[in-house]
Amino acid sequence: MPRSAQPGQGADVATALYERSGAAAYGMSAEQFATILDEILRKYLSQDSAHASADQKADFCAGLHLEELALARACAAGNERAWQDFISRYRQKLHSMALHITRDGAHAAELADSLFADLYGVNARDGVRSSKLVSYIGRGSLEGWLRTVMAQEFINRYRKQKRTVSLEEQTEEGVQFAAAVPEPACASDQRLEAATDEALAELSSEDRFTLASYYLDGRTLAEIARMLRLHESSVSRRLDRLATGLRKRILAGLRMQGMSHAQAAEALETDVRDIRLNLRSRLTQDSGAKTFPGGKVPEQDAGDRSHD
Amino acid sequence: MTEVPKIVYDRLRAALPERALSGRAEPERAHPDADLLTAFAEQALSATERDGVLEHLALCGDCREVIALAIPAADMVPPPIADETDRVRTTVSRAGAPAPHKLSFAWPSLRWAALAAGVAVAAAVLLMHPGKLNQAMPPSANPQIATAVPPASGPQIASSPMDQSAPLAKTDEARQKSELQLSNKLKAGQVVTRSLQAESGILLAGNKKDSAQADKLSAAPSAGSRTFHYDAPAGRRATETVEVSGAAAGVALAPSAEGSLMARNDAPAIEKAKPALQGIEATERQKTESAVVPAPARSQARNVMSVAKLASPASQTLAQNVTWTIAAGALQRSLDGGQSWQNALRTDHPLLCYASHDEDVWTGGQAGTLFHSADRGVTWVQVQPSIKAQALSSDITHIDMRSTAEIVVSTSNDEIWSSADGGKTWDKK
Repeated sequence: MPRSAQPGQGADVATALYERSGAAAYGMSAEQFATILDEILRKYLSQDSAHASADQKADFCAGLHLEELALARACAAGNERAWQDFISRYRQKLHSMALHITRDGAHAAELADSLFADLYGVNARDGVRSSKLVSYIGRGSLEGWLRTVMAQEFINRYRKQKRTVSLEEQTEEGVQFAAAVPEPACASDQRLEAATDEALAELSSEDRFTLASYYLDGRTLAEIARMLRLHESSVSRRLDRLATGLRKRILAGLRMQGMSHAQAAEALETDVRDIRLNLRSRLTQDSGAKTFPGGKVPEQDAGDRSHD
Repeated sequence: MTEVPKIVYDRLRAALPERALSGRAEPERAHPDADLLTAFAEQALSATERDGVLEHLALCGDCREVIALAIPAADMVPPPIADETDRVRTTVSRAGAPAPHKLSFAWPSLRWAALAAGVAVAAAVLLMHPGKLNQAMPPSANPQIATAVPPASGPQIASSPMDQSAPLAKTDEARQKSELQLSNKLKAGQVVTRSLQAESGILLAGNKKDSAQADKLSAAPSAGSRTFHYDAPAGRRATETVEVSGAAAGVALAPSAEGSLMARNDAPAIEKAKPALQGIEATERQKTESAVVPAPARSQARNVMSVAKLASPASQTLAQNVTWTIAAGALQRSLDGGQSWQNALRTDHPLLCYASHDEDVWTGGQAGTLFHSADRGVTWVQVQPSIKAQALSSDITHIDMRSTAEIVVSTSNDEIWSSADGGKTWDKK
C-alpha cells in the first residue's frame, strides 16, 4: 500500500502508519517499515491486490497491530532495545501460556524455552539467524500469535512424543492393546450416507465447526463458546437446533430417494453401528450383573455411555 | 443435549482435512497460518476470511485443537457484575488488552441489576428511617459500607472520579475549620455530619494534612462504631454512610504517606495469623502503627493458615482501576493501566495464576499455594482447600471466579476444586 498508492496520499498514509507503529524507536526507517507492509499486502491481498484500491490497502494496514508488528520485526532484525521490550512484556507471559497449555510445570518451562529460542533465532540458515518473529504479520495481537504458535508447537511435540513411545513403555504403563475393531458385517446404506453428506453440506461452516467440535472433539459448551465468542447457552441451543434439523434433513433426503417415511426412519435409527453398540452395551451390563453378584458392577464402556 | 444420528458422527469423521485443502495451489497454505488463526480467535477477520477459516476448521481437527489451546482462559469467564475496568480476569495476564465484546451482553443485565439494587437500597432506607434521610444513621443500623453514589469504598474516596469532579470551592480556612470540627466531634464520640464539598476538600488535601487527619481518627475512641454522613446540597445530592469500627478508621482514611504508590516495588511481608483470642493484643499493636490493616472477619471461618499484609500504609489507599499480573512467580499489581507494576504478593512457592473480581483477588501457585484478598490485595489470607482430610497440594494452574462467592480452582493433575461460599467450604471433582 504505501508504495503502490497514489504518490501524495500514499506517502501521507505511510508516514502516519510509520509514526503509529513507533518503529523509529527501534531504529527502523520508514522505508524498511513500508517494505514490511508491502510484503504483508502481497501475501494477504495476493488475489485481490490488482483490484484493491489504495483506500482498501490503507484500511487493511490500519487494521494491523502496527506497534506489535514493529516490535516483532525489530526483534527479528536483532535490535537490542526491541528485545528488551519484548522480554519485559512477554517473557513471563510465555511461561504462563505454556502452563495453561501443558498444565505441567516442567513441560511448560520446556515449551516456553523452546519457543523463546525459536523466536530469538537460534537456528541459522545459510549463516543467517532466522527468527520465528519474521512470520508475525500483525493481523492478531502479538500475545495471541505467541499463544497460537505455542499451541502448534505443543501439538507437534505431543505427536512426536506419542509416536516415539515404545511398546515396552506402553506395556509397563499398563496399556492394553485392544484387538482391531472388525468392520461391520454389512456396509451402511449408501443412500443414508449420501443423504447425510447432503444435509451436512447444507449447513454453514460455523455450524459444521460447532458439530465437529462437540461431537468429534468432545469439546465442552464452554470451550466452543470461547472459540466462537458466544454464550454457552447459545451454543447449547445451536447444537439442539442442528441435531433436530439434521435428522429432519436426512429423513427428507432419504424420502427424496424413494424411501417411505417409515423406511427412512428405520434406516436412520437402525444403522448397523447402532446395533453393534447397543448389543455390546447390553452384553456388558448383563455379564457384570451375573459375574459380580453383590459386588461392584464395573462401569460401562465410556464410549458406549457417550453414544447411548 | 439432543443426540445426532450415528451416521452423522461417521460422516463428520470421514471428512478429512485433505478435503478442506483441495483446490489450494500453495502447499504452504495448507493450514491457516498462526496469524490467521490468531485473528480468527480475536474476531479480527472479515466475514469472508472468517468463513474460509471456519470452513477449514470444520474439517481439520488439528487446527481446532490449536484454536482451543490458543484461546486464553481469561475469555472463558463472562463479565458478571463489575464495571469494565475491573472485570473478572484469570490466569493469563492480559494487561492492556481490551475485550470490548463482553460489555455488549454484560450491560443489559447489569442495568437491571443496578436498578433493582438501587430500588432495594432506597426502599430499605425509607423504611428504616422515614423522614430522617438527612440525619446520621445509628451505628448498628448499617454494619457495612452502604452508599448511594457509585461504588467507592472508604479507601477509594479520595480517588473516585465523582469526588474529583465535585466542586472544591472551599478555602483553606474553611477546610481547617471543617477538619477541626470533625476531629472534635470524633473525640467526643459523636456522629459527624458534613457536606460532601467539605469532606472532599479534606480528603483531597495534601499528605501532611491527611496524615494529621488519620492520626486524629486513630486517636478517636474505638468503643462502638462511628458513622459519617456526607450530605451534598448541590444538584448532585449524595448520601454516603460509612461505618468505621476500631482499626478500620485508620484504613478508611489512611493517607498515602509516601506520596506515590508507583514508587513502591517491594513485596508485602507475610505474617502468621494470630489466633482469634489474641485479637485484643493485636488491635492494640495495630493502633500504634501508622498502617492499620483490619483482618477480614470472614477469614476466621475458613481454613486460614497465615495472613499476608502490605507493609506500607501507602498501599492501603488503592485506586479502583487495578490491573493484576503474574511475573517471576509473584503477583504484581498496576494502578496505572500497566505502565508500572509493584509486587503485591510473593510466597514461598511461585504463584502461577490469579483471578480478580471487584475487590476480591485470588491467586494460586505451586504446591497448592492459594491466597485470597478481599480488599484488592491490601491483606492476604492463605486458604487451604480440603475435603475429608484430603488437602489440595498439587500446582494450581487456573482460578475461575464466577462470582465473589463461587470459585473454581483447577490443578495440574486435572483436579477441580470449587467453593460456592467464598472459600469457606470446598468440593472436589
